[in-house]
Amino acid sequence: MGTIYITQEYNSFIGKSDERLTVKANKKTLLDIPLIKIDGLVIMGQATMSPDIIKELLDRKIPLSFVTATGKYRGCLQPELSKNILIRKAQWLAAGETEISIHLVKGFVRGKLKNYRHLLMRRRREYPELNLDAGINKLEQAILPIDLTNKIDSLRGLEGAGSAAYFGCFNQLIQNPNFKFKSRVRRPPTDPVNSLLSLGYSLLRHDVQSAVNIVGFDPYLGYLHYQRYGRPSLALDLMEEFRPLIVDAMVLNAINKNLLTPNEFNSEPISNAVSLTKEGLKIFLRLYEQKKQSKFKHPVLKRQCTYQEAFEIQARLMGKYLMQETDKYPPLILK
Amino acid sequence: MINQEENYIPIAALNHYAYCPHRCGRMFCMGDFIDNQYTIEGTSLHERVHTVTQENREYTWQVRAIWLKSEKYGLIGKSDLIESEKGEFYPVEYKRGKKDDWNNDALQVCGQALCLEEMTGKKITTGYVYYAHSHQRQEVKIDKNLREKAIAIISAIQTMIATEKIPPPVYHPGCKGCSLYSHCLPQAIKKVKEYRE
Ligand code: SF4
Repeated sequence: MGTIYITQEYNSFIGKSDERLTVKANKKTLLDIPLIKIDGLVIMGQATMSPDIIKELLDRKIPLSFVTATGKYRGCLQPELSKNILIRKAQWLAAGETEISIHLVKGFVRGKLKNYRHLLMRRRREYPELNLDAGINKLEQAILPIDLTNKIDSLRGLEGAGSAAYFGCFNQLIQNPNFKFKSRVRRPPTDPVNSLLSLGYSLLRHDVQSAVNIVGFDPYLGYLHYQRYGRPSLALDLMEEFRPLIVDAMVLNAINKNLLTPNEFNSEPISNAVSLTKEGLKIFLRLYEQKKQSKFKHPVLKRQCTYQEAFEIQARLMGKYLMQETDKYPPLILK
Repeated sequence: MINQEENYIPIAALNHYAYCPHRCGRMFCMGDFIDNQYTIEGTSLHERVHTVTQENREYTWQVRAIWLKSEKYGLIGKSDLIESEKGEFYPVEYKRGKKDDWNNDALQVCGQALCLEEMTGKKITTGYVYYAHSHQRQEVKIDKNLREKAIAIISAIQTMIATEKIPPPVYHPGCKGCSLYSHCLPQAIKKVKEYRE
């Protein structure tokens, strides 16, 4: 079981033979794997797909997303929504500035910022010489008012302030003289660290989006990401708490342990867009899959689970809160 | 009581409701189904049973896989097997595995009997559950008690569907074998309540 990443740049052809997915390029078969073993498909390069395989992915509800080489999430193939009309109804009823949406937004923001804070505090323990106190203080100042803030725009402001404080420290978390981080740059990222973050967030988006779809939500109605991006999406909301836990942690690990070196990056002329080489991409995808399959104890359910499972668990917990079965939404916060 | 075709309650819902009202709500209000080993085996068993055939075994007349429907109770479903002997009809429900502790299968047979009574105009007093695992037939007495219980459940399901109010999950021993466990997370209500960040 796992996600298949198609990274072949040109001429790859994704088809179906019997109950298997095949990838061919230049008349050679690159991959031939039973569909039953596939959890998801992410296409990062150029690929042609047979109508048969598209139909099969839709029927089996295997999520398919498209991501660019510079880590921009482009979209996904949306299977028929599940019949779960009650959950979508609850989701829509909560839209706007309602008690429920405010509670959820608080959870997403608190989850993300608390995970940021824990990440910084852990580094401070490991490397007392770092100067992280100011950042941690600013983060705390952003976390503290969350519970008393009842306007979604103000909560967005706290999220912005907390993120700025965290990324202000990010360069100090990098212990490899070959890499530097100045500030968060997207669309396109123009330095290696930002390119890794962007790519990681896109992969994360694919996974969270499929969890949101499985549970039966309307993927286009979000609460935190409503006005700001003009593209409401619940997946983006639910992703917040996972960003530091999964992507930031693995990116720092890859850089600090020299698993990726400057040789693994290409830079485009003129635009300066930075992306991974083929070899680098392979390393990165392997690290991401490993991270997703790593286990931890879910603090609410109090049992072992992988991050992959946690996407769906958090989506179901969000569903339970929206249906008013539970009295709160507990974001995933790990110390 | 109910006149629109799509508002009929599947007979199998009785069984699910008795097992767990929340599960019944998930399945029939939210369309939440999941295949696990048991449901898949159960389905293939039913596929075999659900091929319409009719035979005369000595004095017993049998018909398989016909539709059953009751206007009065708003019930609909497919029978596994109907037998007739000396002018009496008996519904027979096939089940994978052994007789479980819940005795819900009897309710399902009762639901079939209610339909069959309306369709044939004859009183049904007995039905059977056939357990594939042990090859045993269990007799079900369609008595007053069972009927009242079945009718009460039918009305509870109708109310649930009409109001879209699904009874909350209640953690109980049956949760362990429930195919919807990972969707329902029955202990989450309590755990979320106790959780402090
Ligand atoms: S897990 Fe338990 S409470 Fe939930 S639907 Fe199944 S039987 Fe009902």
